[in-house]
Amino acid sequence: MAPEIVSLKDVTFNYKGSKRKALDGISLSVAEGECIAILGPTGAGKSTLACVMNGTVPNFADGELSGSVMVDGLCPRQAGTAKMASRVGLVFGDPDTQLFGMTVEEDVAFGPANLGLGYDEIMNRVQKALSDLRLTGLERRPPHRLSGGQKQATAIAGVCAMLPKVMVLDEPTSMLDPEGKARVFSIVRMLKEQLGVTVILIEQEVDDIIGLADRVYVMRGGSFVLSGTPAEVFSKTDELRAVGVRVPHIVEFGCLIGASTVPFTVDDVVRTVETGAWAAPQATASPQAEATTEPTAAAPPPAEPVIEVRNLEFQYPGGTKALDGVDLTIRRGEFVAIVGQNGAGKTTLTRHLNGLLRPSGGDIRVLGQPAVGVSTIELCRHVGYVFQNPDDQLFCTTVAEELGFGPGNIGVDGPAISARVEEILDDVGLTRYRDVWPKYLTKGERQRLALAAVVAMDPEVLIVDEPTTGLDWVESRQILDYLQRLRRDKGKTIIIITHDMNIVSLYAERVVVMATGKVVGDGTPQQVFSQPELMARACLRRPAMADVSVALWGEVALTPEAAAARLFAQARPASHDAEVVIA
Amino acid sequence: MIIEYESRPTLIHGLDPRVKMVWMLCVIIMSIVWTNPVYLVALGLSVVVFGFAAQLPWPKLKGVVSFMLVLAAIICVIQGATYSVKSVTLADPTRILFHIVPGWIPSIGPAAPVRLGGFVYGIGMALKILIVLLVITVFGFTTSPSEIVQVIARIPFIPYQVGFVVSTAWKFVPVVQMQMRTLMDAHRSRGVDFEAGGFTQRVKKTSGIVMPLFANSLSMADTMALAMESRAFGYSKRFTFIRPYKMTLGDWAVLSGSLGFTVVACVLMATSRLGAL
Repeated sequence: MAPEIVSLKDVTFNYKGSKRKALDGISLSVAEGECIAILGPTGAGKSTLACVMNGTVPNFADGELSGSVMVDGLCPRQAGTAKMASRVGLVFGDPDTQLFGMTVEEDVAFGPANLGLGYDEIMNRVQKALSDLRLTGLERRPPHRLSGGQKQATAIAGVCAMLPKVMVLDEPTSMLDPEGKARVFSIVRMLKEQLGVTVILIEQEVDDIIGLADRVYVMRGGSFVLSGTPAEVFSKTDELRAVGVRVPHIVEFGCLIGASTVPFTVDDVVRTVETGAWAAPQATASPQAEATTEPTAAAPPPAEPVIEVRNLEFQYPGGTKALDGVDLTIRRGEFVAIVGQNGAGKTTLTRHLNGLLRPSGGDIRVLGQPAVGVSTIELCRHVGYVFQNPDDQLFCTTVAEELGFGPGNIGVDGPAISARVEEILDDVGLTRYRDVWPKYLTKGERQRLALAAVVAMDPEVLIVDEPTTGLDWVESRQILDYLQRLRRDKGKTIIIITHDMNIVSLYAERVVVMATGKVVGDGTPQQVFSQPELMARACLRRPAMADVSVALWGEVALTPEAAAARLFAQARPASHDAEVVIA
Repeated sequence: MIIEYESRPTLIHGLDPRVKMVWMLCVIIMSIVWTNPVYLVALGLSVVVFGFAAQLPWPKLKGVVSFMLVLAAIICVIQGATYSVKSVTLADPTRILFHIVPGWIPSIGPAAPVRLGGFVYGIGMALKILIVLLVITVFGFTTSPSEIVQVIARIPFIPYQVGFVVSTAWKFVPVVQMQMRTLMDAHRSRGVDFEAGGFTQRVKKTSGIVMPLFANSLSMADTMALAMESRAFGYSKRFTFIRPYKMTLGDWAVLSGSLGFTVVACVLMATSRLGAL
């Protein structure tokens, strides 16, 4: 048994002025070289727990800490964050706020240089960290010119160069595209398996934690509510749902088909199905199973185009060609997901649709009318745009004012504004916060408010840029369910930009794939996920359920429910034949 | 910064930052000392040569230069109308070039004459501003903030943290600019027309950006401080610079050329008014 390196005993922390404890009696023991994952909804206390381990809480946060914290033989609170830095490395979700050098090399050297080490020692550490994180060759590159995955790798390299025994990664993939996420998870694996670093990984990406973490802890309300090996924790599907953690789709599928042992990998599922180690379908197999949103079933009949883009080109002032001859037609009532790696041109394309950018060439029509040269002030009546970060689009002092801001600007009269505000407050579940300052809301509530503030302007088309970034699964579903209702009940056309393929498979009826400023793929999620070359070209990863169904039947099923139905349908004729034979 | 630093393989980028700083200061001193537009044009051209050698992206300066030309015209006219031409050693400094209020305006025209001496002095003033702007741009484009930090931090008795704060503030400017653009775009997307309405209305609309900009910047600065502390910032009084500076022949040439020329020019200006208008 490896010696204990992190020890927390009955740790409680209360932020000054808060009625609720951020940490409430946390006890945790982590052995050297172990990798533990911490899951939980936003506001569960995960980041506070991470900050306790290097002393930033309570040294940087007003509040009261009780209990015992020991990391590598030191008490972080007494040692101070700077001293703890060479023992505990902390990596945050947003790489842009943790890169300080003008070049990758300088950035990685920042920590060791702060320790006052000699020049040769620093350069040795920098070279090793760069090599370990596959950043060799990028030494002279300015960090802001790197891709998201490379930036996060640089941030991790900067921490690695301080040779910490413990690495705490706080949602390191939350802002990355699928390729960046894959890179970070491979780095975590390398830290654990090759460098022997103790890793504490706070994550929302449950599919990637299976097979990576030795133990999993689930937090809610500042306490651990579940813990154990990944197999133990992910088997408790009802408990996970109650906490608000997404159940991995493979596990969900295993439960739906009544697998004798819960599967965790594609191989597990194939083995289960091939050996017949699953039970007959039950009518109430999963009473709380996540809603099946079969896009093909809900697909509306072809309608008139609301957005028409022809040979659209855009070049940034620096000369970078961001869009290169994009052709796209979006019809009324469609739910479209635009996917592709960072820098593929997704946001640049959609910003043209409400006039925030003017094209270098090509044509755009909105609701059949020419849109090139038309101001955003005019276009925003028809095309609503919700930005990625809610804090960039909340300006007013109360929630109700925020909802009335847009309609007021476009000339909606007072009584109509009041009626809209009340209706939308109710729709998005924010009525009780109508007089609250938006900054006081949680991230998920702020995101819902930002979306609702645009919906209040009643545009025909809604563009939502990365609606689920930084949100937990429950909050993500609330946002997407609201969009789905707007489409279904009010006939809105929904365009989302997303990196989350689970969201795509659950909600989108059409996927537009972009790479290097071009549309390189366009079809239903099944069609897109069935093209491995297209997925590779756009640096995308299809969801685990698609992998399972392709392995079983050579075709894509998007949800666990759809895959289970397919399995049952496949089994039914066989059992029917059997009955006939017996008869 | 008008143009952000870019790493490029040019001779100017490769110069020691201390030398570039001395060159910049020498150019600024000369632009202050000289008043004769001919000399100032020569000085400006020398900076332009440096700019070309540094592969300065000139198109990015278009907006600033256009603004500067308008400003220069205003300065020339104001100086032409108000400057005491007695101190200008031109052949005919009092010659009237034109009137701000032309003669065809009944009862008040012609009035406010613009005289040659003041007008030429105004050209000199505009050139000074342009040269200072250009030399700072070339310096900023070829010298990374971290190099500036290292230069500042190597000055005895200044803690390296001071230099780092300067550099972080420098890097923060484009981040805040980008944040401001996003906030304005978000406002436009919600129907705010910044161009419409009178002055008071425009100020009111723009003030809507200030609060979220301030709050977001504070939040970002807070996270950055946390990340810096997590990487041992301030742990040791000693900071190891990863770029040891070694003066090359080119560095010595630019340094001695800049210092030598400035000293000689200042002496000539003081003794024989060479470079004065």
